[in-house]
Amino acid sequence: MPSSFLDRESTVAPAGYNRFLVPPAALAVHLSIGQAYAFSTFNLPLTKLLGITHSDPSDWKLTDVGWTFSIAIAILGLSAAVFGRWVERVGPRKSMFTAALCFGGGFIVAAVGIHFHQLWLLYLGYGVLGGCGLGIGYISPVSTLIKWFPDRPGMATGMAIMGFGGGALIAAPLSLLLMEHFKTPTSTGVLETFVTMGVIYFMYMMIGVIAVRVPAANWKPAGWVPPVKAQRLVTTANVAVDNAWRTPQFWLLWGVLCMNVTAGIGVLGQASPMIQEIFSGRVTPAAAAGFVGLLSLFNMGGRFFWATISDYLGRRNTYMVFFLLGILLYSAVPTLGHLGYIELFVAAFAVILSMYGGGFATIPAYLRDMFGTMNVGAIHGRLLTAWSVAGVLGPVLVNYIRQFQIDHGVAKAQAYSITMYIMCGLLFVGFLCNLAMRPVDERYHYRAPKPAK
Amino acid sequence: MKFRLIVLWLVVGIPLLWGVSKTLQNALKLFG
Repeated sequence: MPSSFLDRESTVAPAGYNRFLVPPAALAVHLSIGQAYAFSTFNLPLTKLLGITHSDPSDWKLTDVGWTFSIAIAILGLSAAVFGRWVERVGPRKSMFTAALCFGGGFIVAAVGIHFHQLWLLYLGYGVLGGCGLGIGYISPVSTLIKWFPDRPGMATGMAIMGFGGGALIAAPLSLLLMEHFKTPTSTGVLETFVTMGVIYFMYMMIGVIAVRVPAANWKPAGWVPPVKAQRLVTTANVAVDNAWRTPQFWLLWGVLCMNVTAGIGVLGQASPMIQEIFSGRVTPAAAAGFVGLLSLFNMGGRFFWATISDYLGRRNTYMVFFLLGILLYSAVPTLGHLGYIELFVAAFAVILSMYGGGFATIPAYLRDMFGTMNVGAIHGRLLTAWSVAGVLGPVLVNYIRQFQIDHGVAKAQAYSITMYIMCGLLFVGFLCNLAMRPVDERYHYRAPKPAK
Repeated sequence: MKFRLIVLWLVVGIPLLWGVSKTLQNALKLFG
């Protein structure tokens, strides 16, 4: 493959190019890297690599294996922050190709680790290399989509980021199918599944690499006229990435994302035991798995729905809905559980998880509104460190507070109530951050250097 | 261009629909 094929110049779309060819290219990448959310399907098989049917004493422990996902998510945030500017400079094709190499290659390195039963290679492969693939792949198509859809930036990025939620829905049954296929009396089939998935995901991401295009400079959708009257929280200026993170607006948005994600991520991880413990005797493990599936569907659907709605409602108003409705629903959940209203309980969490997904999908368009399109991909990358923090904070809050309450004699069914009220508090902090949002001061705006006389 | 548009959307749409249908089958167990 000649190197020029990957360069930004080779991806400039010709006149008359249909912009709706770009979202599936972005989706091919996001559907692949969204596999990360289904990593837990490998957790148990990875603890039986030596014992095959049971966990041998020299097998990896579940807590050791669990770190793989945590490392991958932490590296996602870090790599998005570190490589954001590079992604912006080289364009979507080269960065998507790099993401495909890292993500597919990560599976292969992890497979080598499984073969030699070396945990550090699993961490290095899936966690570090795969995590870089996640971070670079996540931000690669964002600024390109915003430039193609200046009239509907929320809808466009919502479509791609919906893919990240949808990726788990594909990967979970696919992993189980492959492990079942490769399983033998002497193998759990995980090694072969990792190699196969590495190859499949690399090839699938390559579809995105080949299909992606950037619009020509000054391109506008046919018939679209940029709004003449500037809206208060939608800038027409640009802010460079190195200035963006010096503004209070960046940190307010960081708080908005972190609080919204923390409130959702802890529940998502504990959804199955939570519903079984709150409705003890009424919800079977199979039904609880159904609850998790339902939440995943709302997490995915919410990404497209809320991001699209934000194009009409405005970004700040959309987050106001997330925070206020979230507080209302979280505060109602303990009562619904106590009264045994299982349908309303499920409905409340479905809406909460739709807003969790919506928060991820609406943030790139919010950044575009505040900082302009020039460096939006790189700024988005830096903002994703909020996700890394929330990825630790959310589960820790839910798990430790639950355990603390149980240790102090609270019944399991009531052990989540305090956590829900704490989530309300976090959402209120997010609400205040969002409320404080003001346009970026002009001194941070980018000014092109004047040509030398 | 139209053919490419349809093919690309099918390439991403079919796996997604497959995943959604599998998840939905699982989710229905909650109300079973």
